Amino acid sequence: MAGNSGGPWGGGGNSGGGGDDRGPNKGGGRRPPEGGSQLPEIDDLVRKGQDQLRVLMGGRGGGSNGTGGGGGEGPQFGKGTIGLAALGAVALWVFASVYTVKPEEQSVELFLGEYYKTGNPGLNFAPWPVVTYEIVNVTSERTEDIGERQTRGNEGLMLTTDANIVDINFQVVWNIADPAKLLFNIRDPQLTVQAVSESVMREIIAASNLAPILNRDRGIIADTAMEDIQATMDDYESGIRIVRVNLDKADPPREVIDAFREVQAAEQERDRLQRQADAYANRVLAEARGEAAQTLEEAEGYRARVVNEARGDASRFNSVLEEYSKAPEVTRKRLYLERMEQVLGDIDKTILDQSIVGSGEGSGVVPYLPLNELRRNSTTNQGN
Amino acid sequence: MGKTKFFIPFLVVVVFLGLSSIFVVDEREKALVLQFGQIKDVKEEPGLAFKIPFIQEVVRYDDRILSLDTDTIEVTPSDDRRLVVDAFARYRIRDVVQFRKAVGVGGLRVAEDRLSSVLNAQIREVLGADQVTSDTILSEDRRSLMGRIQQNAQTSAAGLGLDVVDVRLKQTNLPDQNLDATFARMRAEREREAADEIARGNEAAQRVRALADRTVTETLSDAEREAQVIRGEADAERNSIFAEAYGSDEEFFAFYRSLEAYEKALQGGNSSMVMTPDSEFFDYLRSATPDQ
Repeated sequence: MAGNSGGPWGGGGNSGGGGDDRGPNKGGGRRPPEGGSQLPEIDDLVRKGQDQLRVLMGGRGGGSNGTGGGGGEGPQFGKGTIGLAALGAVALWVFASVYTVKPEEQSVELFLGEYYKTGNPGLNFAPWPVVTYEIVNVTSERTEDIGERQTRGNEGLMLTTDANIVDINFQVVWNIADPAKLLFNIRDPQLTVQAVSESVMREIIAASNLAPILNRDRGIIADTAMEDIQATMDDYESGIRIVRVNLDKADPPREVIDAFREVQAAEQERDRLQRQADAYANRVLAEARGEAAQTLEEAEGYRARVVNEARGDASRFNSVLEEYSKAPEVTRKRLYLERMEQVLGDIDKTILDQSIVGSGEGSGVVPYLPLNELRRNSTTNQGN
Repeated sequence: MGKTKFFIPFLVVVVFLGLSSIFVVDEREKALVLQFGQIKDVKEEPGLAFKIPFIQEVVRYDDRILSLDTDTIEVTPSDDRRLVVDAFARYRIRDVVQFRKAVGVGGLRVAEDRLSSVLNAQIREVLGADQVTSDTILSEDRRSLMGRIQQNAQTSAAGLGLDVVDVRLKQTNLPDQNLDATFARMRAEREREAADEIARGNEAAQRVRALADRTVTETLSDAEREAQVIRGEADAERNSIFAEAYGSDEEFFAFYRSLEAYEKALQGGNSSMVMTPDSEFFDYLRSATPDQ
């Protein structure tokens, strides 16, 4: 009998449990009040009420399942059965009211639909059915990828202040700072993050020229975007925390990227030309400096040579002069003779005695001087 | 037993009546109690609430911030450059009674339609206003434009019982048919920039070369000048040395220097001389005593 009636009770309990499971998810507003009206009364009544509820549900369940026997025997249960049922009901109630929150989660508890408290990780108690709860994963990071052109047409193309188009792709990583705010203030958190992020990024891009976006401002853009998105999210009291914004790509659109690469090539070409010119300049300047130094050194050398020669000559002259002044006549004679000896020794001489040639006018012999022959002799002599 | 038989149906009825006379308003909702379509009560605060079973029904409305994306529309700012614009709005139901009256049983769907047309109208109006050009939209002023759209939409949507929390423009792009032209222009700009880069490179290179050449010339001529100065000084010094030395006995200098000059000028064996033995050198050539 007890075993027999246990069947329907079990069935009832199960369907009740099913109700519990559904409660927090979608029936949160609807299911709890059914028991809620009974609960404020004494424990006994509560239990009875719940029992009756289960009878109702179990009866229905039984009916639909076609186990009519259980339903028919229902009214004839004994005291023991009632006690057992009550115990089972309490166990079920405790089971339904206690839940665990994992370390990365938080729960939000609602007391009759009204925000009651935020549950921290661990074992939490939410007396069913007055308190319902929802568990939200707060720490795990969600990523919204915005501006991927392959998937969504021209979404990533944004217009800049100078009417150029830039292809932007970025990710927004977010988690939940306040689960209660998230649940109560925002209907579509993910869509909201996406839409706000896109809007903020477009706003930033629209307020900037193309060149800085492409070159140096990426970090600044990401930071500004993060701040603005966060500010908007705070305006909505969304409880969303923007963890970071990754500006993946800020490039010219692929239709014109070749032209941009050409500019880069041209920049390098310009650099190359300048460096070549610098190299040329360095080379010729060094050469010129060397040449100038050479010219100067040569001049200095000339100076040294000339002055030294002059000094030498002067000194030699002075020495000779000194000797000369001691015995002028002799020295003069000696000098003269020595020099003439050397001078006349080296040269071809033709000595014509004036007395032979004749001292009187027209009476003398005209000497014949074959100058060319003389010269020829001297050269052949030299050649030999 | 008979008591139980009576008690159980009674309890069932009581529970059923009880259940249908109470309802819970969630934190996320606002609720209206309707009696045959007529608004009887408004429940804006979360918690437990009551109604008369069977004759009254509860309609619940979302109290969270709702989102609405507008369709893409083309606007023409005052400079006649067309832009493709879309926006999104964040709004919530402020006044459920007014909302119910305005949208009837259609609920959010009708409200979204209405709000969407309000937004489009406001976007067109604000972005098409006299002083607004496409440059204004593509600048820092965008934020204030969005603020204006939001305020206007707020005013217009007040009749719907809605509170427009925020309106933000998303894309403000060129129409697709203008895209190619823009790309062509961007490309032309880049090409110009590339040509400019190379031209500037050549210019700079030429400058550097010219400067280098000039510096070379300057350096060399400087050195040349310096060298000439040095040579001049050297010559001057030489002269002064000679003058000092030779000035002490000019006659002897003439003699001495002449001898030196003879030696140098007549050396080498390539000179011949026709001479008479009258010169001093031959004083003793013919006699042992010089003929005086």
